[in-house]
Amino acid sequence: MSTTVASNALEMRGITKAFPGVVANNQVDFTVRAGEIHALVGENGAGKTTLMNVLYGLVHQDSGEILIDGKSVRISGPRDAIARGIGMVHQHFMLIPVFTVGENVMLGREPVTGPGFYDRAQARKEIAALTRKYGLSLDADARMGDLPVGLQQRAEIVKVLYRGANILILDEPTGVLTPQESKELFGVLRDLVKTGKTIIFISHKLREVLEISDRITVMRRGKVVGHLTTRDTNQEEIATMMVGREVLLRVDKKPAKAGAVAFKVEDLTANSDRGVPALKGVSFELRQGEILGIAGVEGNGQSELMEVLAGTRRATGGRVLLGDKDVTGFDARTERDAGIAFIPEDRRGTGLVLSFSVAENSILGREKAPTFSWHELVLRLIAIREWARKLVKEFDIRTPSIDTAVRNLSGGNQQKVIVAREMGSQPRVLLAAQPTRGVDIGAIEFIHQRIVAERDHGAAVLLVSAELDEIRSLSDRIAVIYEGRIVSIEPPETPEERLGLLMTGGGSATLPA
Amino acid sequence: MTIVRRVVGGLAMPLGSVVFAFVVGGLIVAATGGNPFSAYAGLVCGGFGIGCTQGENPALQISNTIVFLTPLITTGVAVALPFRAGLFNIGAEGQLLAGSMACTAIGIKFSSLPTPILLPMVLLGGMVAGALWAGVAGVLKATVGAHEVVTTIMMNYIAQWLLRYLIIGGPLQLAAGTSKSLPIGPGARLATLLPSDNSLIVFGLPASVYRVHSGLFIAIVAAAVFAFLLWRTTLGYEIRAVGQSQRAARYAGVSVRRTIIVTMLIAGAFSGLAGAIQIAGVDHNLTDKYFSDTTGFDAIAVALLGLGSAVGIVLASLLFGALHAGGSVMQSDAGISSNLVLVLQALILFSIAANFLGAIRQLIPGLRRQAGAPPPETPAAALMTEAAAASEPGSQAT
Repeated sequence: MSTTVASNALEMRGITKAFPGVVANNQVDFTVRAGEIHALVGENGAGKTTLMNVLYGLVHQDSGEILIDGKSVRISGPRDAIARGIGMVHQHFMLIPVFTVGENVMLGREPVTGPGFYDRAQARKEIAALTRKYGLSLDADARMGDLPVGLQQRAEIVKVLYRGANILILDEPTGVLTPQESKELFGVLRDLVKTGKTIIFISHKLREVLEISDRITVMRRGKVVGHLTTRDTNQEEIATMMVGREVLLRVDKKPAKAGAVAFKVEDLTANSDRGVPALKGVSFELRQGEILGIAGVEGNGQSELMEVLAGTRRATGGRVLLGDKDVTGFDARTERDAGIAFIPEDRRGTGLVLSFSVAENSILGREKAPTFSWHELVLRLIAIREWARKLVKEFDIRTPSIDTAVRNLSGGNQQKVIVAREMGSQPRVLLAAQPTRGVDIGAIEFIHQRIVAERDHGAAVLLVSAELDEIRSLSDRIAVIYEGRIVSIEPPETPEERLGLLMTGGGSATLPA
Repeated sequence: MTIVRRVVGGLAMPLGSVVFAFVVGGLIVAATGGNPFSAYAGLVCGGFGIGCTQGENPALQISNTIVFLTPLITTGVAVALPFRAGLFNIGAEGQLLAGSMACTAIGIKFSSLPTPILLPMVLLGGMVAGALWAGVAGVLKATVGAHEVVTTIMMNYIAQWLLRYLIIGGPLQLAAGTSKSLPIGPGARLATLLPSDNSLIVFGLPASVYRVHSGLFIAIVAAAVFAFLLWRTTLGYEIRAVGQSQRAARYAGVSVRRTIIVTMLIAGAFSGLAGAIQIAGVDHNLTDKYFSDTTGFDAIAVALLGLGSAVGIVLASLLFGALHAGGSVMQSDAGISSNLVLVLQALILFSIAANFLGAIRQLIPGLRRQAGAPPPETPAAALMTEAAAASEPGSQAT
């Protein structure tokens, strides 16, 4: 212990944690210096989450030691972790939307006057002090549900600071943010570091990692495969370390040969789940052999648009034409039979039945097709298994067998099951919503190639993604959606700043083609 | 290897539940001054005809067990199928009564028709009545979102009181002052496996005392139909998809409403068939003993203990049938009230519901599940959570 340098805020030594069938962390050494932003990167299943769960006391290591400020500590639960100054900002916010910012921050540690009365004034004072100290502007009386996502995240950070955190763990913090909000977040993080806080930044967006971090630890298959200093490395090096082989980060594609109009959307309107208008008159044309990307901050109608086009949500007005055929009122099955394939954004809840096997999932939505059933009644098990085997092979789905429940596959392979199923039937129109969300770099590369291949085969592809990089590298044209309307259609070279501005309702539209 | 482990792991929960129930039941017997070993010896003798000491006829005991297990198989299926669709059918009892009432009414009304016409009529009539009884709950769930647990329970009451009305002062009553119906016509009766001939001696008893009837084969066919429906048909595929994820089913283009209604109709038909078989095969008329019939409730335990599978349901029915048949022998031989059987059944169900085995595994360090790893769900628990998840407000059928 005498060798420990005092400037290490955190040192995890030889952490090993095995789960049945997998060693999630294998002799992991992870050192974070005080006052730095340290990025922890790796593919899904590399062991980042397990390592952070060990640190936060959610999981106990089988062996290994944790040192905080040079002192060996035992963390037996989140309470211990918080007491030792470790705070976690989760990817999915742990906030109560109907409470005010102040109430959310204080929750569990409310200042009280007398027997159990919430002291609003004191709470406001404490939050004001905190936000002033760290330069975070936040209105303690605003209702949490009314705030944009970026400010909600800020409230999460304030909450963690209020509990006395010195080491902040941020798990994929930019996943839900706009480019502008991400920039603001980075500003906040830099300010926090200046006041002496230490930050562990978990991300798979390499560009952001390079922008914000001081040092990088790369994990692969439960082991640490590299410690890097940010200014001495680049995206390619990190990606290669993460995947274990060289990865093509840019999508390699030929210019589009756009053909006839395959899909025409005219003045489409639809409501969200809550019954408020989500699409307020969307019009665009989609040609065969092109990829039209839809850029937008999440929640601006892109999910609803995809669902209406796929037939799982009812349009309240407007028309959708597939070729010359009006398919507006079609349900999901008829749309699919007409040649529209749909990769939904929520793969675990919508695109797959998790307890079903790979084979069963490979026919989801097509179980009544003549190939897979006899008179739509009895399943043709042999044909189904053959089809599943073919997809597994063609799309390189890593699964022990086609009888394995998809629940037991990694996120990337789950997504590949959907991609394989939807592309395997040679669709005329491919609707791809967040096709690579939460998917490993290796699988992203593969899925991108397949989407481009579909385009080259003449399919019309509509792509929705929260990742601007993905939209820009795949699309032949980019439609920007804001508050249920297409505000502009831009060429793929459009600078990110301009797209970001359009996405948030600023900027002036160019050619609404 | 993994298959062996999965089978063993799958059986651990139901076997553990049964062992738990018998241990606790034994403690109850001991605490109340009885001898648990002689009590269970009585149950084994009464259920399986093994180790009888008081001169019981083993063949007769086995015959009784089979009579009891027959309706449990079909009603067990009627509970298990909706489970797969995420629905909790508490109404198997009401559907069974509806089936038995329809069967009796048809069997009385057309009592002169010959067997090849009348027997299919009463059995199909029972299935249709059961299907309609369950269909009401299905339609209400699919259209206005009324919870099937509540509606099926209410339909149970309606069936029970309707039965009273019919045979006490109602149109089916045998005679004033009785609480039973007229007998169904001879053409509506299922054949017993042995001729009802008092001169024929089988295993030392006249053949007519053995009540085993051909309904057993119908029940086993029903279990096979259930398995085929679930795993080999597009409908079964869609039922399972709806049960696992309504959103995924909707994405696939499956009508969730339609699937819910169809599932309940089929389930009700199975229960109704059980009721019809009881009338056609055993009782030949409605009696007041149906007022306190619990087959449709035992079926819930059977479906859970059988892990919702056809083979499991048949095995669980065998156990419950044997318990039922064994209770009276236990009472006469060991002097333990046959109500202990009900206690045992309740303990089995309770143990499955509470997932004791999982809790015990947590307490033993060597067997403790690793936090963070996906918890290996016991199938029955999964069945129940499916049913529970389907009843969450957000996932209403739309």
